[in-house]
Amino acid sequence: MSGRISVPSNYLTLWCCYLLNYLCFQISVYLCTSGMGEVILGMPGQWAHDYREKADHYTSKIGGLPDWPDLDIPVSGKLLLCDLCGGKLCLMAQIYAPLSMAERSIDERVIYVLGCMKKDCGSNPQSWRVLRLQRCKQDIESKDEPLKAEQPEEESTSVAEDKPTSQSSSVKVCDDEDSDSDIDLDDLAQALEQAATLASNSKKQDGTKHTRKIVEGPVAKKLIYDLTTPVLPCFYIYSQRNSSEGRMDKANFVGGSSISLKEIEKSSGNESEGESWEGEAYEYDKALGADRTYLKFKKQLDAYPEQCFRYSYGGNALFPVANVPKPGACKICGSARRFELQLMPPLLYFLQEASDDSSNFSIDGWTWLTIIIFTCPKNCCSGTCDEKSGNSCRCIVEEEAIVIQDD
Amino acid sequence: MAERGDRGGFGRGFGGRGGGEGGRGRGRGERRGGRRGNKSEEEKWVPVTKLGRLVKSNNITSIEQIYLHSLPVKEHQIIDTLLKGLKDEVMKITPVQKQTRAGQRTRFKAFVVVGDGDGHVGLGVKCAKEVATAIRGAIILAKLSVIPVRRGYWGNKIGLPHTVPCKVTGKCGSVTVRMVPAPRGAGIVAARVPKKVLQFAGIEDVFTSSRGSTKTLGNFVKATFDCLMKTYGFLTPDFWTETRFSNSPYQQYTDLLSKPTTKALLPPTEEPLQAEA
Repeated sequence: MSGRISVPSNYLTLWCCYLLNYLCFQISVYLCTSGMGEVILGMPGQWAHDYREKADHYTSKIGGLPDWPDLDIPVSGKLLLCDLCGGKLCLMAQIYAPLSMAERSIDERVIYVLGCMKKDCGSNPQSWRVLRLQRCKQDIESKDEPLKAEQPEEESTSVAEDKPTSQSSSVKVCDDEDSDSDIDLDDLAQALEQAATLASNSKKQDGTKHTRKIVEGPVAKKLIYDLTTPVLPCFYIYSQRNSSEGRMDKANFVGGSSISLKEIEKSSGNESEGESWEGEAYEYDKALGADRTYLKFKKQLDAYPEQCFRYSYGGNALFPVANVPKPGACKICGSARRFELQLMPPLLYFLQEASDDSSNFSIDGWTWLTIIIFTCPKNCCSGTCDEKSGNSCRCIVEEEAIVIQDD
Repeated sequence: MAERGDRGGFGRGFGGRGGGEGGRGRGRGERRGGRRGNKSEEEKWVPVTKLGRLVKSNNITSIEQIYLHSLPVKEHQIIDTLLKGLKDEVMKITPVQKQTRAGQRTRFKAFVVVGDGDGHVGLGVKCAKEVATAIRGAIILAKLSVIPVRRGYWGNKIGLPHTVPCKVTGKCGSVTVRMVPAPRGAGIVAARVPKKVLQFAGIEDVFTSSRGSTKTLGNFVKATFDCLMKTYGFLTPDFWTETRFSNSPYQQYTDLLSKPTTKALLPPTEEPLQAEA
């Protein structure tokens, strides 16, 4: 339904705010900047209404279909096929991970983790593929950039009034079609949805003019017409910082213990003679089936039992076993890859819960304890991106994933 | 260093904007209600291992299936789910000291034994800076180490098994503990510390004999536990028949629940078209 409305701008502002609240948010993940070594956890959020629904590439989600941003060259088919069986890979996780480094900041950087669902491939680490898609930004001050972060209120105001001032002209609804007060209803709704999607972005303070690309499509969530790719149940992710130790003690609480501290003090009092516990020394944790490394891994998991992934750019991974193969070197620049994030087992549990309803794929083939993803520390490009093509070049680089199995 | 300036992250700070934070808070409230049941955060168990997922979905109903295939138990909630009547008791909490430059650092070591009195017993040892943490940790470790205990008869096979099936011996450090079958009514003839472990195991009558420095009671209790582990390791004539192997739960349930991936496609009629009206 499309229509042109001509309403006074203050009514429109109110209605925009109302619509903003009414729309179903898919919250994109803009986590707080992490310092070196700080860990950000991806916690499970809302389920998608339909597993094939389209988000944008600023969203972090698990399952569903990958949201590719506007690419000059579409993603090559070879990257989306399994190495072992040749079948199509399905999206396991799509994580929006921009970086701010000293020399440059990469805002549009997304990591896609793809896996094969066939029974035999699932347990083989070669069937996993990690793609890093980033936009090589050469020139910040360009006009051709798509919309960067904007405050929702400000954007709605500027959409409503469409005044050509230096700041509010950062959003231009349509290039030449609109007058000042007539606004295409669909474009308005799209603008609001985009604003909702980018709701937690920080604003670029440079005040440059941005022109926004019109997002094609209706207001309701669009589905991706891809019936050939296997699809996992889809849910969105919100972020949480890994907080302090206090949480862990609470998590270790074992309810219903029949021991109280007073009883212990009493029992330690009446010891019979000749029995004194001597010669005890410090002992590391050990259980029959679990060694010390695994118990530390489990302790971190118990602090936040629902964590789906741990993100710590350049930090340390949490290894459940002692001997983990070292990551290789980047194929383009040759530098040793660095840890970026790892997927955790509660993710499999959530997917399995959802798949019980429509059991048409084998998640049970997956028995990994964690998938650790290493990326190139220099965020290099694939070399086809040169100065001439300007700043709209996007590269897809394949990164490395180490799969640790749960035997 | 180039790395020093690097800051990874999913994005910038929120910058204190109302829309962003409100959206985040709203979203979080929505999500929590939708996904979770009534259980509080502490009670809800999200399984980590494959065995945990099988137990949570009630595909594995008895702990004997786990023991039959010697599957390592890595989550204590598995034991909680499968063995309901498990009792625990702290045997001892000792301070353990380490000499540092700034004096002595004292930590507490807790010994906890868990058992249901009917053939399952576990022993956990944990060192921690606080007593409560040590006890909690030791209970979890004890649950992870629950083993089955085989009981047999001394003479006539009347009634239920009440003693160890044969003479077994266990060792830890310098302490060796030997358990000998006893007739009914003999009771547990052992020192106070291993007697507790044997009571939790569900053994009613046994003669024991120990050797070595049993003053190191940590080793003593571990030697008793090791001895109990060996009761099912001893090959008696009952086990002479050929074993009929069955599928491990991993394979059993993978085959059952896996479907060919071609069925991942939804039939086209179910796809709602979202074209512009």
